Amino acid sequence: MLEVKNITVKAGNKTLLDNASLKTEAGEVVAIVGANGAGKSTLLKAVCGDIKRTQGDVFINNKYLEDWDRCKLARVRAVLPQSSVLSFPFTVFEVALLGRNPHIRGRETKRDCDIAHEALCATEADHLTERFYPTLSGGEQQRTQLARVLAQIWEKPESSERLLLLDEPTSSLDLAHQHATLSLARKFANEGVGVLTVLHDLNLASQYADRVVMLKRGHLICEGSPRKVFNSETIREVFSIDSVVMEHPTLPCPLVIPAVVRNVNNNGNLQLAVGVVS
Amino acid sequence: MTKETLIRILPFQANSASGSRSVIVFCGLCVLLPALCFISFGVGAVKITPFEVLAILFQKQGSFDSQQETLLFAIRLPRVLLGVLVGAGLAVSGATMQGLFRNPLADPGLIGISTGCALSAAVWIVFGETVSFKLAPLLKTFSLSLVAFPGGLLATLIVYRLGQREGRTDVPTMLLAGVAVSALNISLMGILSFISTDAQLRNITFWTLGSLGGATWTMLIVTAPFILIPVIWLPKLARSLNAILLGEAEAEHLGVNTENLKRKCVVLTTMAIGASVASAGMIGFVGLVVPHLLRLLIGADHRVLLPCSALLGASLLLMADLSSRTIVAPAELPVGSITTLIGVPFFLWLLISRKS
Amino acid sequence: MKLLLLKKISLIFLASLTLFFVSACRRQASSNSISKYVSVVDSDGKEVAITDSSRVVSISGSVTETVYALSAESKLVGTDTSSIYPEAATKLPQVGYMRQLSAEGVLSLKPTLVLATKDAGPPAVIEQLKSSGVTVLILPSETNPEGARKKIKLTAQALGVEAKGDELIKKLDEQIKETNSKIETAKSKPRVMFVYARGGGAPNVSGTKTAADEMIRLAGGVNAVTEYENYKPLTPEAAVTAAPDFILLPKLVFDSVGGTDGVLKMPGIALTPAGKNRRIIAIDDLLLLGFGPRTGEGIKELAKLLHPEQF
Repeated sequence: MLEVKNITVKAGNKTLLDNASLKTEAGEVVAIVGANGAGKSTLLKAVCGDIKRTQGDVFINNKYLEDWDRCKLARVRAVLPQSSVLSFPFTVFEVALLGRNPHIRGRETKRDCDIAHEALCATEADHLTERFYPTLSGGEQQRTQLARVLAQIWEKPESSERLLLLDEPTSSLDLAHQHATLSLARKFANEGVGVLTVLHDLNLASQYADRVVMLKRGHLICEGSPRKVFNSETIREVFSIDSVVMEHPTLPCPLVIPAVVRNVNNNGNLQLAVGVVS
Repeated sequence: MTKETLIRILPFQANSASGSRSVIVFCGLCVLLPALCFISFGVGAVKITPFEVLAILFQKQGSFDSQQETLLFAIRLPRVLLGVLVGAGLAVSGATMQGLFRNPLADPGLIGISTGCALSAAVWIVFGETVSFKLAPLLKTFSLSLVAFPGGLLATLIVYRLGQREGRTDVPTMLLAGVAVSALNISLMGILSFISTDAQLRNITFWTLGSLGGATWTMLIVTAPFILIPVIWLPKLARSLNAILLGEAEAEHLGVNTENLKRKCVVLTTMAIGASVASAGMIGFVGLVVPHLLRLLIGADHRVLLPCSALLGASLLLMADLSSRTIVAPAELPVGSITTLIGVPFFLWLLISRKS
Repeated sequence: MKLLLLKKISLIFLASLTLFFVSACRRQASSNSISKYVSVVDSDGKEVAITDSSRVVSISGSVTETVYALSAESKLVGTDTSSIYPEAATKLPQVGYMRQLSAEGVLSLKPTLVLATKDAGPPAVIEQLKSSGVTVLILPSETNPEGARKKIKLTAQALGVEAKGDELIKKLDEQIKETNSKIETAKSKPRVMFVYARGGGAPNVSGTKTAADEMIRLAGGVNAVTEYENYKPLTPEAAVTAAPDFILLPKLVFDSVGGTDGVLKMPGIALTPAGKNRRIIAIDDLLLLGFGPRTGEGIKELAKLLHPEQF
């Protein structure tokens, strides 16, 4: 339901993204991985329309992105930002309810309030409902934002599939909540939502994504199922580190184990060990 | 009034703790403002008791004298109404600007409108004396306001255009442009002070200090639409303003046309502030302090913040005006100085408490 | 429910108040049936009918002074902050600074007549006073002896004491004539520089077309500064170029800067002939610049200081 064709993003002389294409079908989770500065967030922002594409097209539900009416699009597509700038004293419930904005005509209904509550329960932030957003920890804020984003596309509209875009949804979360968040994304995918997410942790991508897209310096290096994409050679090429890839002992997915050794050289400085491609 | 009726007429859900607090504050302000209006009718250099006020309003002959009646209708009534309008306009504009700039310490004057009006007024005071008003002597009385308003609009237009980048309004750039234009206006006013006569300088000074004393029915009727339209329209944009607090990109994702919103907010606040400054001079801190105080009580939801700001802004200005008329009666203190006297310590307290 | 209920309420509030106003407007402005009134032509050339001068508020120092000189002070019920002579005037209720009057403040004194100059303001307040039924007479305020005469004459007319007014004008003319005869034979006209500081701020020097300029001429002196009109800040170069023989200041300013020594500290003053000879003179503000009934006295006092040998 999301189709990205040959998009290039340039800023001045610098090419942030070069000729990237990908697809996300309804019901699948696609993860974008890569080193810092590889262009992951750029790709996601270009898909949202937040930054201008120098070239290329984006189609949502077979309709050109720029042809979508803003409000109608907001009812089928939700975007979780990497970080939030909200410094005003909204309560957590109010933030979650903001997600229902595209659906509200005049005043919010009881159904809207219920959805906001359910979304907060799903992200395990319901005990924070009356707390003020700026007083929360980073992880709590992220879960609140996720609740808002989920509330936005909680119910399936009649003729459209829904799209969920997540930009590093786990960056401030502890281990348990990282998995809880991605399980939630997986659950939404099982209901027919197309999920496109930027992830840093390869093992999270491996466990929850149907397909993985790997970026390096603005180029799409490879794309496919985690089993196909995660191997020592590709990881060395994209992340410049040694690793061991094996089958997860208990789950049906590959497990990536970095194998970086650091030495202290004769001068007393840290250096990466032999076997690292810089 | 039952709880169900109340919930039906209010623009927000009132079933949470913060929601019920909002209801209490809203209703409290709805009672406070008319009460202050009524008190303002009676208080001043000429004493009119509340009983006499009622008698005059309902035209119960024999309970008041004609001087009181004339005073109430010709002077106090327009003055109180102008105070309500200006206070409401300044507070609502302040709240909107703080939302737009995503900074709770933003002041409506940041987009250059206040200093623009002040500069035009100063130019008119210094150079406008030679203009003849033989054809329309009434125009002379309002000439200052009529000149100040477009001057402020021009300043804001410049700031807005400077803030455009690639066809979109870049809020941080607009903020910087506003600061620069305001600084320019102030320095030009300095030059005008240099070339002005003593009398002109005094006039400029008093105008900038702010006063509701010049309120007449004609001025009120002319000013009212420019303030009422924003005060009524801006609360309709409340949900979009709530969304834009998350960030512009996030607001777009929620379906808000941010470019449209920014343009509407700038135009409406410019109208309200321009009309306020043109009719009553520079009255500071109302736009800054009122929304901030309300956020401490009822949170940041603009759907309740904007109407409450209007009510509290009007109330605050009426209280300041009451003080200005009574402290040194029968003379008057400039109302702008009183709002600053109240506003500055409050503002400092806000800054200090934010740090801790 | 698109419109908030509050807005409906406030619109109704405003509408009802407007209705009250409209009903108030339908009353005719009550006019006492007057059998006689005084018709005075004000400074704009308009005829003003003064029906009742029993309670008068006077705005501006020289106007108040004129009322006292006409022995009509019993009619005064209030003055402004610039009315500092005679001292009795300062004991009256004050309605504020003349350029920033309060309509209510004036009206609280229940005046029937307001005497003011065109400096009184703001214009909206003057309109409010007029529309409240108070007669407002704007007196001429030209800064020359003719202006003083007109001021006295009109004030006297308005207050119904024309005879006393003529007497004052006659006295004024005699004083000016007497001073003139004394200074006519003076050998030279000393150069005088008038310095004024706005409330203790930076000092300004008077050019032409000011009250000070006129007084200097009337007292047999010459304004040392003629390059510009009105006031400009004092600069050392300008002071030295002007080379005044005397530095003249209003008494209040003279005191506030610290007397002669204070004046000598001002930029460039010490280098002028006036500064070197310590010829710093000061005269009471209102006496010097008011152009009211004491104009003759003021000219004489200044002339004495400029031409001591003639007196």
